[in-house]
Amino acid sequence: MSSMKRYVVVRGLQTIFTLWLVLTALFVMFRSMPGDFTSQMAVAGASEEALAALRAQWGLDEPLYVQYWRYITNLAQGNLGESPVYRVPVWEFVKMRMFNTFILVAPAMTFTYLLGALIGTITGSKRGSRLEKLGIIPVIGVGSFPAFFLSIVLVVVFASWLNLFPTSGMLSAGGTELETWWGPYLTADFGIHYVLPFTAVVCRYLFIPSLIMRTSVVEVMGQDHTEYHRLTGLPIGNRLRHVAKHASLPVLTIYPVSLARALGGVVLIETVFNWPGIGYALVEAVLGRDYPVVQFVFFVVAAFVIISNFLVDLLYGVIDPRIRVED
Amino acid sequence: MSRPLLEIEDLTIRYETDGGDLTAVSNASFSVDEGEFFGLAGESGSGKSTTAKAIIGGLDDNGWIDGGTIRYRGEEIQDFTDKELNEKLRWKEVSWIPQSSMNSLDPLQRVSEQALEIGRVHTDLSNEAIREKLKEMFDVVGLQQSRIDDYPHQFSGGMQQRAIIALALFLEPSLVIADEPTTALDVIMQDQIFKYLDRMKDDAEISLLLITHDISVIFESCDSVAIMHASQIAERGSTTAVHDNPRHPYAFMFKEAFPDIREPSRDLEVIEGYPPELIGEVSSCSFTDRCPWAVEECHQSAPPLEPVGDDDATHAASCFRSDEAYELYERYGATDPSAEVEAEQGGN
Repeated sequence: MSSMKRYVVVRGLQTIFTLWLVLTALFVMFRSMPGDFTSQMAVAGASEEALAALRAQWGLDEPLYVQYWRYITNLAQGNLGESPVYRVPVWEFVKMRMFNTFILVAPAMTFTYLLGALIGTITGSKRGSRLEKLGIIPVIGVGSFPAFFLSIVLVVVFASWLNLFPTSGMLSAGGTELETWWGPYLTADFGIHYVLPFTAVVCRYLFIPSLIMRTSVVEVMGQDHTEYHRLTGLPIGNRLRHVAKHASLPVLTIYPVSLARALGGVVLIETVFNWPGIGYALVEAVLGRDYPVVQFVFFVVAAFVIISNFLVDLLYGVIDPRIRVED
Repeated sequence: MSRPLLEIEDLTIRYETDGGDLTAVSNASFSVDEGEFFGLAGESGSGKSTTAKAIIGGLDDNGWIDGGTIRYRGEEIQDFTDKELNEKLRWKEVSWIPQSSMNSLDPLQRVSEQALEIGRVHTDLSNEAIREKLKEMFDVVGLQQSRIDDYPHQFSGGMQQRAIIALALFLEPSLVIADEPTTALDVIMQDQIFKYLDRMKDDAEISLLLITHDISVIFESCDSVAIMHASQIAERGSTTAVHDNPRHPYAFMFKEAFPDIREPSRDLEVIEGYPPELIGEVSSCSFTDRCPWAVEECHQSAPPLEPVGDDDATHAASCFRSDEAYELYERYGATDPSAEVEAEQGGN
């Protein structure tokens, strides 16, 4: 077996093990919190006997290891369970909401990182210039505001005053029915609803890649190989490309983590724009102790981080031959 | 005699700094002949690297040539634009061996990729032709031709040094500038590097401008030498003339600061103090404050570089007391001579 294959297999097994740990931790964690999904009904005045019957019906009266075994075996068969609060299968409940969040956050964060890398390269390469000192300030300034405030400002300015975009939602009410589930995402109506939430995500997170890239570029600019490229007479474009390649490694490292954080962190932006994502539903599910829903969503986010870290590890090798796993 | 390959005349270079305009090189003049090995010596910060960078238009962004001329094969090049430098000069005529060869190769690029990039900027050669040239040079410096596609980290330190020499030579320049090429290497590697440089001198009639703080390296391998102190050239001339008949106090004290294998028990000279930082016009000899023989005149104006001795036409020193300084040093050592002289006269 070549060392590359072995590397992928070992890392793959590690990844599966880590995912199992996460799954178990989530299971135990949420059950350690006081109360379960019947607690709110108790507040509403349901009788103790009725609640006990309900708990028995959902298996919550059984010992933890029995519940855990059932959960794991069901999961292994692809059964995510049913939400006791909404009385619908978990998959049915989360699938479109998660997709809506993903379609907002993933492109916006990818764009944020590309733009941030560009800003960092330009400001960092002009060490000591006014551009380097001041160019980053607007980016940090905008990123310093809370997400909900940024979103409200965008709504007030571009939706209410200038009337360029709709104030909220993902699609206009009463739009034409489309046959496929993905049809609506290709319409102009979706596009026009997409602009402001997308901008809010970019503004909120742009400072992270910009700052890291700038620091990284300043460091690489001072290295001997950059000086050598300059003395050989390479045009500035070529030189910046080399610098950016070196400097992009730290930015690449935090990209998947940042993306996963944003997936969970856009709840405020989603709320202001009334975006039908998973964020708000997740908050409700945690408060309502909707175990199957919260376990699955948090698991997906964790899995996303772990798997993309694995992919970034492989990508490192493509960029930097020194950490490449040789065949 | 034919025209020198490189002529530098009254070159002044300044850097813009927060403390004012720093003079890094002031009125430096020297020339390098075809096939000659020329050593430029001095302490750190004396302006030797700055002088060399100016030749290939590689000054840092805050530095500029404030006066004087640089002529290459008779053509003035100090005002060349980046484009002209790339078309006419860099790498095809004048190439560079950097100070820290271990870190100067881009770790993310194969050596051949780096050569292709340099070749494309400076020539119209095909990729295949560039690779062939690099392979030939790998042969010359004793690396396997098949290794041109390696990444720098696959080479040992000495091999990286040789690869960077190959990169300096593959477009067949007439002048190679080597900025402390052996500083980071052990003596065995140093010796090998000079073997390669000597071979290219014999084979290709290449000229070398060697920048170093180690004057013994220059005495061993160079035909001519210029010794710089704090922006000024203290003394220059053929290596023999400067070695046997030094006329500038800095030159002979610098020389005596290095051990000599023939006189192992000799005390090494210590030059007190540090080179000054010169802001604005330089209107004195920059060695004045460290010189035991300085007189009033030395503070008031910078001594011009004037021919000394009759041993060699290029031998020149910039010292008002070049006629007597070495004699005083020989007789009394590096102490204030006037006091000694008076004491001696009193004794008589």
